[in-house]
Amino acid sequence: MSAPVAIYEPFRAGLPPLGAYLRSLWTRRSFIAEFSRSELREQNYGSVFGQLWLVLNPLLLSGVYFLLIYIIGGQSDSTRYGHLTASLFLFYLISNSLTGGVKSITAGQRLILNTAFPRAMLPISALVIALFKFVPTLAVFFVMRTILGLDYSWQMFWAIPVILIALLMGLGMAILISCINVYFRDIASFLPYMTRSLLYLSPILYQASDLSDKLKSFEIANPIFYLLDAWSQVMVYAQAPDMFSLLHSFIWAIAIFIIGTYFFLSRERDFAVRL
Amino acid sequence: MISLSASNSLNSSHAVHGLAVSVQNVGLTYTTSIDKRPTLKARLKSLGRGKKHTRVVNALSQVNLDVHYGTVLGVIGSNGAGKSSLMRVISGIVPPTEGRVEVHGSVSTLLALGVGFNPSMTGRANVYLGGLAAGMSRAEIDKQFDAIADFSELGEAIDAPMRTYSSGMYARLAFSVAATVQPDILIVDEALSTGDAHFKEKSLNRIKELRTADRALILVSHAMATIEDVCNEVAWLHKGKLMARGNPAEVIKQYREFTNAGKSAAANEDV
Repeated sequence: MSAPVAIYEPFRAGLPPLGAYLRSLWTRRSFIAEFSRSELREQNYGSVFGQLWLVLNPLLLSGVYFLLIYIIGGQSDSTRYGHLTASLFLFYLISNSLTGGVKSITAGQRLILNTAFPRAMLPISALVIALFKFVPTLAVFFVMRTILGLDYSWQMFWAIPVILIALLMGLGMAILISCINVYFRDIASFLPYMTRSLLYLSPILYQASDLSDKLKSFEIANPIFYLLDAWSQVMVYAQAPDMFSLLHSFIWAIAIFIIGTYFFLSRERDFAVRL
Repeated sequence: MISLSASNSLNSSHAVHGLAVSVQNVGLTYTTSIDKRPTLKARLKSLGRGKKHTRVVNALSQVNLDVHYGTVLGVIGSNGAGKSSLMRVISGIVPPTEGRVEVHGSVSTLLALGVGFNPSMTGRANVYLGGLAAGMSRAEIDKQFDAIADFSELGEAIDAPMRTYSSGMYARLAFSVAATVQPDILIVDEALSTGDAHFKEKSLNRIKELRTADRALILVSHAMATIEDVCNEVAWLHKGKLMARGNPAEVIKQYREFTNAGKSAAANEDV
């Protein structure tokens, strides 16, 4: 008799065998691609501009916020506008992973109750969708900063590690919040307020250097404050980011990722009976 | 519970009358929330009042069940007997709390809900997503897709968003997917009873076609007539325990005597 294809046994609290889990995640990578594609297609389905909204949306947003800071602060130089746009685009990568991730498990109820698969696939798809939305805005920003006449330099390659940290952070947040939402469904309703607070607590409408030292010391607790600061240094000022910002955001990102993944993986076998 | 085996054993061959599923001393106890929609707000409001938010469900205990290839096993029992739980454990969706389950082949599951996890996407997209999630490759689904669409008789509706489907259309598509992918082991949980008379008969015939020596079928149903008609073995579950197993007519008789349901029309009526 052939060896069993699959064995299901009780699990103890803690992680599933990680090697097997990752392998089975990897064999389902086409699900993640297909899911993100059809989700994006469906979100912009039927609108006149279709996929163009992926670019239009962030552009309009940055215009609106620029109007806001212009009226309040009266400053309107091009660096300011570049900073606002660049920061807003990266912020939306994080915020889209959160809003996409929060309901990824609860909305996948039918699939979860009917099929055995690594549940982490669903929040990962949320990050991939956020990334697909982010990439066109990056192209838009490069056109914009050329028009604004901002300098270019080799230091801008620091954008790569900053984006990688942002992706790790977005993934960790999506995984963590999707898991929390299974147990407390109203997290999804709180989320808009949380992302809004995060928007104002982060150096987007203002610059990190505008804050007093006292306020800045509180911002240590904001996971994305120094991430956005580093991003602005690289993308707007074409400088290398200071190491503190890079390290701060990396430590936050890895911490959220590890905590989120641990919670998720140790509880995902419970999801089917909780939905 | 990690790998659903659809992808890795489509080509495997197994001995006729070999073991397909072996359920050994399986017990399942789980904690679930009492509220349909547990919220942080409700949790905070009842803080210190000693209100319970979760309850422990003893769904299965000490279940032993071997299913061999060539068997069509009917699973019967009253509501809450643990039938669906047992199906979820066999298909790896919920891990058992005790015991061990061995599955020797690819499993296709048609549990109560079927496909269609994202109602705003088309039937086609949902079929692909369901298949990919189950571990099939895109090429495998491509190969089967036309047959699935044909069997479901949905016509052009296959490219309409699933939120526009009626519940019968949902059920037809779900059944078509599960019954077309040619699994080694097919698990159907109370999904035969939806759909109109024509489709009901068609799916029943399909089930009969699938009864081959190198396949195992597990049907969960309340329709005794169907079970007696299709199955060559019946297992009866009551409150999480296996009460009897064996010849369909005998087990159904025992079950009827136990529940006093008699051979009434209501119990026979539906598929």
